[in-house]
Amino acid sequence: MALLEVTDLQTRFLTDDGIVKAVSGVSFSLEKGETLGVVGESGSGKSVTFLTVMGLLEKNAQVAGSVRFDGDEILGAKTTRLQKIRGKRIGMIFQDPMTSLNPVKKIGWQLQEAVLLHNDVTQKEARKRSVDMLKEVEIPRADTRIDDYPHQFSGGMRQRVMIAMALINNPEVLIADEPTTALDVTTQAQILRLMSRLQEEHEMAIVMITHDLGVVAELANDVLVMYGGRAVEEANVDALFAKPEMPYTWGLLGSLPRLELESTRLEQIPGQPPSLLHPPKGCAFNPRCAYAFDRCREELPDLRPTPENKEHLFRCHLGDEDRARIWAEKKAAFDAAEGSAA
Amino acid sequence: MSELLVVENLQKYFPVTRGVIFQKELGQVKAVDGVSFTLEAGETLGVVGESGCGKSTMARCVARLLEPTGGKLVFDGQDITHLSRKEMQPVRRDMMMVFQDPYASLNARKRVGSIIAEPLEVHGIGSDSDRKRRVQELLEIVGLNPEHYNRFPHEFSGGQRQRIGIARALSINPKLIICDEPVSALDVSVQAQILNLLKDLQQDFGLTYVFIAHDLNVVRHVSDRVMVMYLGKPVETGTKRELYDEPKHPYTGALLSAVPIAEPTQGRARKQIVLEGDVPSPLNPPAACRFHPRCPRFVDGKCNVDEPQLLTAGGEGAEGHRYACHFPLERWPMDEDEIRRGPALARSAE
Repeated sequence: MALLEVTDLQTRFLTDDGIVKAVSGVSFSLEKGETLGVVGESGSGKSVTFLTVMGLLEKNAQVAGSVRFDGDEILGAKTTRLQKIRGKRIGMIFQDPMTSLNPVKKIGWQLQEAVLLHNDVTQKEARKRSVDMLKEVEIPRADTRIDDYPHQFSGGMRQRVMIAMALINNPEVLIADEPTTALDVTTQAQILRLMSRLQEEHEMAIVMITHDLGVVAELANDVLVMYGGRAVEEANVDALFAKPEMPYTWGLLGSLPRLELESTRLEQIPGQPPSLLHPPKGCAFNPRCAYAFDRCREELPDLRPTPENKEHLFRCHLGDEDRARIWAEKKAAFDAAEGSAA
Repeated sequence: MSELLVVENLQKYFPVTRGVIFQKELGQVKAVDGVSFTLEAGETLGVVGESGCGKSTMARCVARLLEPTGGKLVFDGQDITHLSRKEMQPVRRDMMMVFQDPYASLNARKRVGSIIAEPLEVHGIGSDSDRKRRVQELLEIVGLNPEHYNRFPHEFSGGQRQRIGIARALSINPKLIICDEPVSALDVSVQAQILNLLKDLQQDFGLTYVFIAHDLNVVRHVSDRVMVMYLGKPVETGTKRELYDEPKHPYTGALLSAVPIAEPTQGRARKQIVLEGDVPSPLNPPAACRFHPRCPRFVDGKCNVDEPQLLTAGGEGAEGHRYACHFPLERWPMDEDEIRRGPALARSAE
């Protein structure tokens, strides 16, 4: 049985302008010790999906579907019950370490709060655990730095503190929402290495929400590509990068400037992400898709498996032969660029 | 080709003071400390480095938004290092900036038309109707609908706002555009649109760019030459090919090896050099080579005593491939272990 199983999750926000369909029918499952990468542009519903899973939405949200954590249904559960899970069995790291720490409280206070809330321990014991955790996330001189305020830490160190806070109660699942987006490459490398080490030690499952396909390629086991509040492609990481099936995924890969490729022009996805208030009819990607035909503008494609791999799901009306041909052409163009760069 | 911009030993120190009335100087933050480069017309210079390395301060000095503490800036044959605000005004017609944050860099209370027309007004170019026509033409050039002339910035997405910022920079036909992290706030798909747009504009209008970014992939994509900065000093400069294929400075190597690769098999096989710690404070930078406390090739008694100079070592172009290191990388790629062994081998050979 999967540790976290989400089925047909729906999230709608009632606003003055109408109903915003932020998440429409997303399903996935996460096993112990696994990493799920969630990719998509801003506004594709990645973050809202996981805020829904954690029950952290505002009052104007309507949710439906099912979220089973360790076998128990937690979607729509009472706040008191969720509070026992959040921060204890599911940890969360947010994108911006500058705004997610309380600037007027010492680091130590913020870490101890998480310990004291979920465990029956003394203040002294909580402090000891906090120091140990800071050591574990490689903060130098942890026993004195614990009495510092967040502004005395650099961006990378604040993100380490966020990780320490999320991990201090040894959670089974860690949800990391763009944990390295605000950081330099060198710091990003340190943080990602730290996360993989801690994952191995604690056998934790990680959800990595990011728009960086490089991070996903290196860390994730499975990938979920989201667009317009829907899952548009879901597969094992190797399968996805070897043969992506959905034009949006092709676009994402093509628009990436890469170190190993030298091209004069990037392949861009024209236009803007769709409005979730007035989503386009049919496939949400059709206004930006170079291969869209009449059916795409009328009818939403189902999430279906590829002929060769039943675990590789995608959402597209294009026939198998067409997709294979188009990807082969794109792949050849990538390889040619790679050859000329080498 | 002619030299559009010559920067010689540029320095910008910020004083650190205490007290309000009787200010006492406690020290100096050497944000930029000895940057030199020449930029030919039509060329793109990429500048990379971690946050706090002085990239943006350097850009602001070049645009003369800040007055340099020392060194020399020659723009289009004219020394602009210490020009007054008034004397700078005609020079500003040829030099524009595009900023990082498309949300903060556009005045929220002004309509897009007047934002883009502002440089034209400042320089007194054209009549009202000329300006309006020019703005509509610019909107078209950057791929926006000319009808959107009367809208406010909040009606546009991040990528569209960045296009507005670019249209504003283009309005007076500058020769040099300084882009300070123009795409780092954008999604990859939108980032690709903006990078393509910048490249097209360069071709169409013969623009010269100074392109500052922390994303090495982006810098490689747009630049002809690249400068890597660390704590206010350039540590390596060279053509894009030299820098990315044969990096010499261990810091460049570490930066390159830290970039995740969007291909699972290659990505997992990547040999990474992880730097420990953060960039030290520029208030009290390490002695001699500023990178020595974090350097995998650190040799005691050399790197912390004798400061390496930025020397030319072959390479293409007038400036060639320059780097400041006593123990440059012998080849690339190297794994962490080989990198550490390098200086020891060099020493035993001596």
